Amino acid sequence: MTPTLMGRFQTRILLYIFLALPITACVSLYLDLLEIGRFWDPFVFITAMTVVGLVLDPVYMQIQRFRWDNDWPFAFQFFFTILEFGITVGLMNAGLLDALLVDRIETSTALFHFTLVFIPSFVALLAGVQIFLVHWRFKGGELGRL
Amino acid sequence: MKLELVIYPTDSNSSSNRHTINLEGSGPFTLGRTQSCDVVVPDQAVSRVHAEITIDGEDIVIKDAESANGTRLDGEEITRAVWPSGSIVTIGSYSIEATRKDGEASRTSVKIPPTGGAFPPPQFDSPTVDVGALKGSGLPVEEVDYLALGGGLGSFIWVDHLRVFGVPAANIRAIGVDPEPQAKYERLCLNSQIPRRERLRSNSISTPDNIWGFPGYASRETWVDLKNGKLGGLKYIFQVFGEPAIAESYTPRAGDVFESIEAEAKRIGWSDIWVAGRIVKIRKTTDGRFAVAYRVPAGHARSGPRNKILVGKHLHIAMGYPASRYLDDLQDFKREHPKSDRVINAYEQHDEIYDKLEKNGGIVLIRGRGIVASRILQRLWEARAKNKDIKVLHIMRSRIVEGRKFDLAQRHAEHDIEYQPFNWPKSCWGGSLRVLLEQADPARRAELMQMWGGTTTADRADWDAMITEGKKDGWYRPFFGEVEGIELKDGRIETKLESSQGFKEEVRLDADYIVDCTGLVADLEANPVLRDIISTYKLERNNISGRSPEQRLSGLKVTNDFEVEGMRNQSGRVYVSGVMALNGPYAAVDSFLGLQYAALRSVAGLAAQRAPTLKQLGPFRSASQWIKWCRNETP
Repeated sequence: MTPTLMGRFQTRILLYIFLALPITACVSLYLDLLEIGRFWDPFVFITAMTVVGLVLDPVYMQIQRFRWDNDWPFAFQFFFTILEFGITVGLMNAGLLDALLVDRIETSTALFHFTLVFIPSFVALLAGVQIFLVHWRFKGGELGRL
Repeated sequence: MKLELVIYPTDSNSSSNRHTINLEGSGPFTLGRTQSCDVVVPDQAVSRVHAEITIDGEDIVIKDAESANGTRLDGEEITRAVWPSGSIVTIGSYSIEATRKDGEASRTSVKIPPTGGAFPPPQFDSPTVDVGALKGSGLPVEEVDYLALGGGLGSFIWVDHLRVFGVPAANIRAIGVDPEPQAKYERLCLNSQIPRRERLRSNSISTPDNIWGFPGYASRETWVDLKNGKLGGLKYIFQVFGEPAIAESYTPRAGDVFESIEAEAKRIGWSDIWVAGRIVKIRKTTDGRFAVAYRVPAGHARSGPRNKILVGKHLHIAMGYPASRYLDDLQDFKREHPKSDRVINAYEQHDEIYDKLEKNGGIVLIRGRGIVASRILQRLWEARAKNKDIKVLHIMRSRIVEGRKFDLAQRHAEHDIEYQPFNWPKSCWGGSLRVLLEQADPARRAELMQMWGGTTTADRADWDAMITEGKKDGWYRPFFGEVEGIELKDGRIETKLESSQGFKEEVRLDADYIVDCTGLVADLEANPVLRDIISTYKLERNNISGRSPEQRLSGLKVTNDFEVEGMRNQSGRVYVSGVMALNGPYAAVDSFLGLQYAALRSVAGLAAQRAPTLKQLGPFRSASQWIKWCRNETP
């Protein structure tokens, strides 16, 4: 991938809306969180993770500048997404999300949730988005026409 | 009968550049690029056998031999004509004058019009033609909305986009000489020793057969291997995952790419779209369209007319004829020894030298350090498996200790060669460097391309191992310096080199063959059709940059949508792609992905203007078209 900063932001938000949110709703229902009044907790977690990603995006762009190809290998994407998950769990366990959560999510549950969101999102980057958006791959991940 | 021909480059008619050739007999004498011709004209714009001269009684007769770029007599395109004394025949970038040396020269031949009537018709002499008048001329005139000129990969990829964007095949024509769009490209590959089984310097998602870039060639290759029970196929997917940081960049097999193009050509109805023809002239029409005069090659004309006109509303020109160029001193050698087969350009057919080397051994001198040099070195390494008596000398201008720098990054360098997976940094295709270049002014663009381009090769472990082995075993030796001259000595070629290794010294290198690997250039004006529109419509050119240090090698000035604004005719548009847009808003124009980018920009641009039968490709239509592609259904 050869993302631009705006491309990183826009693709992240695109995947958040079209993959992360619906999958999170399914996870929440599957875990019967609605009945115990915690339906929105996974949404808080995945939203927090998206925000962490948005904050890190400019950092990634700085790393890219050191690369001659100015690119972002899929292997990096893979590694840094896992890192974003780790940071979000850390922030949650440090109590930074307490005001928004009914209760903190167990790490194993968060990992289960993350995996379900991460796999289709990663596949979408490799092979999904460009099927719908022909300009996307030439725009460094930005939406709209060239 | 004796005939004297004087040949010189059209743009430099100085006495040192004039060569005289004497011919005896009545012919026919062949003129062309290959050594077997009676008159060898060392120019890529000249066909292998370009024209024929015969002495017919008192007349000298010149006949075009179905050449790619045509033969002109005093500027007028001919198929067969009497060549009067004092008239000049032009083929490629060379001019030729002929004189009878047997007393006939004093006679004045009467110039007869070329056979088959004047073509293109006289209307084409003015910048704008009237379609009604053309129809009245009796020539066959066909009208479509979309017309692609060139018929190679650039045309094909543009047409592929049009088809996916909804244009019916019946509304598109593509004029070219080869029925297969990849024919020309494949010829260049074969010449530079890339047969179908070898890999191209291209990426998985650079898919000329698929506008989405998915599935890429890596996943297709994995799929085929897995279907055959070969788990090793997973490595291609891993390459795409890890490239270029933790895995060597994936490159597709030439054969896979060509077969995919053949399949897509079938799917979009290319055989109905393609028209056999050589383009002769392009003109704006009075009603906001474009008229293209073309000549059908004899083999395709059957008994029908050979001179025809196609009128199109929107034009795409991909005729930036990439030509192999010899280094100056090699070009001089070729001129002095037109019959010698010792100096070869890697992009020209030269398979026989490997046969000879495998049989007799010998010394090969490589000039240039790019991807082609790597590939030729590999071919020589393969030949060494059959004959250990092959040695390779490699001349490069200067040592490279460290790679070029841009912003915070630096290019990798080793063995005095700079490496990058593709011919530009990857993000030139679709990342931040693409945006940076597009937004820059022309002067800054030239600067940026100077920094990012240059001669590089791919960092392939097998190539690296060959150089290391060759240096160790002594069959490969690099030399650095400026070549002072070459000459033929006792059947071998001696190269005098002002070495720059450590201290200055003169080195003499003897070799059996010299292979020029310095690459292709595109001299737009070597093509008479392009030269004509450039001067008729006063088309602007891009600034020069490292890739093309001479103005004549720079592309046409285009908008970010690849439109040539100087050709705009009311609502009619002209777009270009490939080397025709060199040094413009996009760096990697001459790559599969670059051709796709240019095609997408121009077709999307046309869709935004509501061009006829062209629909927007929104997310749902895009996905449904993609499914059609997967099912191999017509778009």
